[in-house]
Amino acid sequence: MIVLGLLGLVLSGILIGIGFYGLSSTTNIIRVLLSSEIILNSAILFIFSFSSISGIIYNSIIFSLFAIGMALTEVIVAIAAIILYYRQKGKLEVE
Amino acid sequence: MFLQTSEIVQIILFAFFGVMSIAFAIYIVRAKNVFYGAVSLAFLGVSVAALIALEAPTTYGIYSVFHILLYVGATVTFLAISLVMFKDLEIKIVGRGIGVLAGVAIALLFLITIYLSLPQISIVSLKPVNFTTLADDLLATYWFPIVILIIALLTTLIEAIALARRD
Repeated sequence: MIVLGLLGLVLSGILIGIGFYGLSSTTNIIRVLLSSEIILNSAILFIFSFSSISGIIYNSIIFSLFAIGMALTEVIVAIAAIILYYRQKGKLEVE
Repeated sequence: MFLQTSEIVQIILFAFFGVMSIAFAIYIVRAKNVFYGAVSLAFLGVSVAALIALEAPTTYGIYSVFHILLYVGATVTFLAISLVMFKDLEIKIVGRGIGVLAGVAIALLFLITIYLSLPQISIVSLKPVNFTTLADDLLATYWFPIVILIIALLTTLIEAIALARRD
């Protein structure tokens, strides 16, 4: 249904706005990571909403599969970096 | 043109999960304890998976399962468990006005771009996706990105082990 595709596009726009609000309203590293995950979710929702209108099915599924695979590696690397930062500084806030 | 009952139910469910995903996203950026934010991210992931599946159940159902298994089941769980290692998870909010302004500006820019690009899209009907065909495509056409992804996952595995063993 094209209605759901359009609603999905609008919803992904709202989620991107919330994600950017989270990115720019805190100095906590973990909050920044969580906000970037919101943006990732909205990007994936955008890909599927857009492809449900335009019909690019396989590319959207395969691209999103690789995207969540890379998101997994990104989260592990980010958590490792945060743990090292926390060991050195003793806090999670950045200046 | 009248909608069928199943389509109405589909739209109602889509609206429900849409509202839920916005509520969870707001909770993630407003929660004072980031651990609860990480748990809320799991619910956001489930809501997004449901939204994707509702858009075209026969076509995107396969991806929805992967989203819940791989993203919610692995990524978000790992993130939430890792947060237990930190002591002070209470956080302070700074620059709320600038944050709201930035968020609204980005969302508006995004929506305007979508609105302007919509007339150029040719609308087509979706076909069901067969899992066998998808798997064949992944192994035959997209083998190189799969190799890269496996190397990336192995690298992060080694990194996680090295970090855990470090004093």
